Amino acid sequence: MGLLSESDTQVLRQHLSAIETPVTLLLFTQTFGGSEGGPIAKQVLDEVASLNDKISVVEKNFVLDTEDRTKYGVEREPAIVVLRDGEDTRMRFLGAPTGYEFVPLVESILLAGTGNAELEPATVKMLEGVTSPTEIKVFSTPT
Amino acid sequence: MAFSSPHITATAVEATSFMDLSRKYHVTGVPKTIVNDNIEILGALPEQQFVEAALQPAGQ
Repeated sequence: MGLLSESDTQVLRQHLSAIETPVTLLLFTQTFGGSEGGPIAKQVLDEVASLNDKISVVEKNFVLDTEDRTKYGVEREPAIVVLRDGEDTRMRFLGAPTGYEFVPLVESILLAGTGNAELEPATVKMLEGVTSPTEIKVFSTPT
Repeated sequence: MAFSSPHITATAVEATSFMDLSRKYHVTGVPKTIVNDNIEILGALPEQQFVEAALQPAGQ
């Protein structure tokens, strides 16, 4: 049984149709002794990817794919890294993206696939002033 | 913000699955934002306020 209802699926498919550039979701999970969020994250991503040909899911082994872990700075699992045409968008998700975490996931996929950030002009100006590495973590809960 | 700046990385953390991180950053309510381990933003702010708080000099 799917995690998404029939009506959610229809709405979501319509939103995702705006995507023009291929989006890859790198999913880092641990097969043995991994967190219970791993399989849930995989199911969520697979369902979303099934709604649009331009979205693909590539699974990475958290234990074995150390090169990719280093490249994308992945220190926990499950972790999702959003790529736009193979390039890192620097948008990440830690934990299964369910509940309130699901909308930000969809928004990040849309952003990666459309390139339209819809930021206010003042924000764009401030971002131009950022010249040093800046790591933002946003904690939330699924319910 | 991360998408629009090559220097910014943004991670959405599911707080209940990573209790160690939640404890480390004293997450007692959500949403809570941590920038470079030294700026804390509680709650959801309008875009302008959020960006100003997140990019204040202390975090750079």
